Amino acid sequence: MSGLIEIQLLNGIVQGMIYALVAAGLTLIFGMLDIPNFAHGAFYALGAYVAFTVVSSSGNFWLAIAVVPIVIAVLGLIVDALAMRRLARAGHVYQILFTLGLVLIVQEAIVLVWGADPTSVTVPAALSGGIPLGVVSFPVYRLFLVAVSAVVIAALWFGLERTRYGAIIRAGIDDPEMVDCIGIDVQRLFTIVFGIGVGLAGLAGALIVPIRGGQPAMGNELMATSFAVVVIGGLGSYLGAVVGGVFVGLTQAIMTILYPAASEVAIFAAMALVILVRPQGLFGRR
Amino acid sequence: MRRFAVLVALVALAPFVVRYPTLETQILTFGLLAVAFNVLLGEMGFLSFGQATFNGVGAYAAARVLIDLHAPLLLALGAGIAAGALVAAAIGALAITGRGVYGVMLTFAFNEMAYYLAFQWRDVTGGDNGLRGIPRPDVFGISLDDATRYYFFTAIVVLLAFAFVLRLIDSPFGAVLRAIRENEERARAIGFRVRRFKIAAFAISGGLSGLAGALYAGLFRFVPLQSIDLDTSTNIVVATLLGGTGSPYGPLLGAAVFTILSNALSHVWSHWPLLFGVVFCIVVLFFRGGLWSIPGLWNRRASHA
Repeated sequence: MSGLIEIQLLNGIVQGMIYALVAAGLTLIFGMLDIPNFAHGAFYALGAYVAFTVVSSSGNFWLAIAVVPIVIAVLGLIVDALAMRRLARAGHVYQILFTLGLVLIVQEAIVLVWGADPTSVTVPAALSGGIPLGVVSFPVYRLFLVAVSAVVIAALWFGLERTRYGAIIRAGIDDPEMVDCIGIDVQRLFTIVFGIGVGLAGLAGALIVPIRGGQPAMGNELMATSFAVVVIGGLGSYLGAVVGGVFVGLTQAIMTILYPAASEVAIFAAMALVILVRPQGLFGRR
Repeated sequence: MRRFAVLVALVALAPFVVRYPTLETQILTFGLLAVAFNVLLGEMGFLSFGQATFNGVGAYAAARVLIDLHAPLLLALGAGIAAGALVAAAIGALAITGRGVYGVMLTFAFNEMAYYLAFQWRDVTGGDNGLRGIPRPDVFGISLDDATRYYFFTAIVVLLAFAFVLRLIDSPFGAVLRAIRENEERARAIGFRVRRFKIAAFAISGGLSGLAGALYAGLFRFVPLQSIDLDTSTNIVVATLLGGTGSPYGPLLGAAVFTILSNALSHVWSHWPLLFGVVFCIVVLFFRGGLWSIPGLWNRRASHA
């Protein structure tokens, strides 16, 4: 028994960091644009598959980690500039619906380009192996994943809380109209936030692919849980998304030990509880 | 009234023209799902992303009543309506708290929760294998054991439900829903209890979806797990937008086109969902009125000329 529970909890943190990265981007986009971006999971899946292509053509995993977020962010900028802006006048509902259309396209395009079978990426030599923990050992790569996620999350937090640009973005989440009145180009701000947000999802996809591999439906599976994370953490709250992500990852891990059948339902039950008791979420303001 | 008469004639003649009664029954049940969804989107302006929840709950409830109690078919349909309405009212009450489009996300998340519940609760739902062995009892002594007969039974029920929706939209209740869509604050200021109206609209939409689920359970004598999954919810949204949200006839048309195309295309090109995605994005970007609005566009252009 010794070591197994610890391993499970560590895995919960690993999954939690992925949720945190995905939900952080989701909550920034939601907070500012008021769009539950249904395509967020699709960008995550694309991140995983682009990482696969970069690794298999260059053999360099580090390159993939660096390139994928940029590629996905640029895709996000294009989507925002071409469609989201155009749809802004039609209303949020149509922006949401457009992201749904993107999901259909991306999911099937992945099957078309990379095939329906799962793909896998091998962990780079420097990160293979494990750290002994009781009778079992914990893979080094997973610790690396936690470290990279933590650094990115902390850097972005610093950017949001301590820089001028961050202040503008936070102001945009609180009151986009007022920011517009001050003379800041809110449209451009939206585009930048959309790019950063989906870039984070792309990074999460690139980081998970050596562990889980890539499947065309991987984005869809993530979406509902990420929504739950955002609701639990509080809409538009960056800290809430991060804490909520780790909380949900750990809850799943603990439930898998205690009562596996309910590990998925528990997350949504927690979400319902948060709505009833604290509708603004754990870290949300109102 | 004339449109409704044309619809009745079309539905009555369809199985004589094209002999695919099972597919045509599916069009009707899916059409009812789309119409139910559009009560929330088209009338009240709420995008519910979890409509499959109510469909699935209705299907399981009707199936359980038929299997365990050997109940008459009409009673099973009633069970489907009641189950769908109850669950929709509960989810709706939770989903409408919070600002803006927050609720969209919640209906989606609760749909996933319902899916996992159905997946795990094997004794009731059959889990991944689906629920089999559902009887299809006679109605008023008339056997429905034949696909065409079941089509006509479904047609009568769906047309009645559709007439109910048409009536609802013309009623003061429908006017309040549109008032909420146009300006929620103003509707509240006038004195309407917006929250109650929203929950009632959810219950109606859920009840109609539950009815569609119950009819589907009777059609295949089987409830697949897919009837409660998010893909079904997505299909309902896609079909409705394709048809148009401006009139209850739009979703019906969209559901028919969607069902026929997806059946036809899946034989031709296995990547057809890609095509649907592209068409859907184009509809959202440029033709937000959907297919139903196209004759109107044409008329307007003709009258300008």
